[in-house]
Amino acid sequence: MNNRLRVLRAERKWSQQDLADRLEVSRQSVNAIETGKYDPSLPLAFRIADVFGMPIEELFQRD
Amino acid sequence: MSVTATPRARPGIWAGLFAANMAVIAVFHITGAIEPPVPWILLALNFVLLIPFTRAARLRQEQKGAMSPALGRYNRRVLIAGFAYMVAMLVAANVADAIGTGAPILWAVAVLPILPVLAMIAAMARYLKEEDDEYLRLRAVNGALAGLALVLIIGTAWGFLEMFGLLPSIWAWWVFPAWSIGLGAAMCWPRGDAGLEAGE
Repeated sequence: MNNRLRVLRAERKWSQQDLADRLEVSRQSVNAIETGKYDPSLPLAFRIADVFGMPIEELFQRD
Repeated sequence: MSVTATPRARPGIWAGLFAANMAVIAVFHITGAIEPPVPWILLALNFVLLIPFTRAARLRQEQKGAMSPALGRYNRRVLIAGFAYMVAMLVAANVADAIGTGAPILWAVAVLPILPVLAMIAAMARYLKEEDDEYLRLRAVNGALAGLALVLIIGTAWGFLEMFGLLPSIWAWWVFPAWSIGLGAAMCWPRGDAGLEAGE
């Protein structure tokens, strides 16, 4: 699954730690999701969508 | 603003030293170079290495942005149980010789070191329950499976080599240290570092 987390985070000038704090997860988790090593669960994906204020399908796309 | 460079923590060095010490003590015991209770006492003292290992592991987890409150609690519980294990082994080793073979109290002495091991297993179960970060939880589960794989591989291989008289029989309690080494190695493996920003 592809995602736009890194681009959207850069647009907001957030560090990985900033996003991790907003999501209440570790910086390693944010990195793993950004680099495609880990696909988040549906509840976490919705939390990410809420943080960016976007629909979930604009953040995550199928390969 | 001044930036202080923190040296990269290397828990693998302490884990390797711990494993190497265990292997050397086992070889000395098997070859008869040291007689009980000396191997027990040396094995127990080897657990002092848990202190620098736990510190280095915590620092490494912080540097990699992989620390969580639940993981901190897990580290603390395992360290306490590790020390209890060391004390239990020392007590059991020194008391066992004074007790006659077959004495009922020997059962209690033999069971004593098992209790801290149960505490360590309970600490892992509590960690998996308390960890809110799903990625860290997945890493811990994968680490536990890696530890299990290590135990299965070594145990099966040793069993067949022992069956054909190529290796001596050893105490079966090696399984827990072997599982712990597999777990620790898998959790400290530098995967997931690519793209990781420096900690703040």
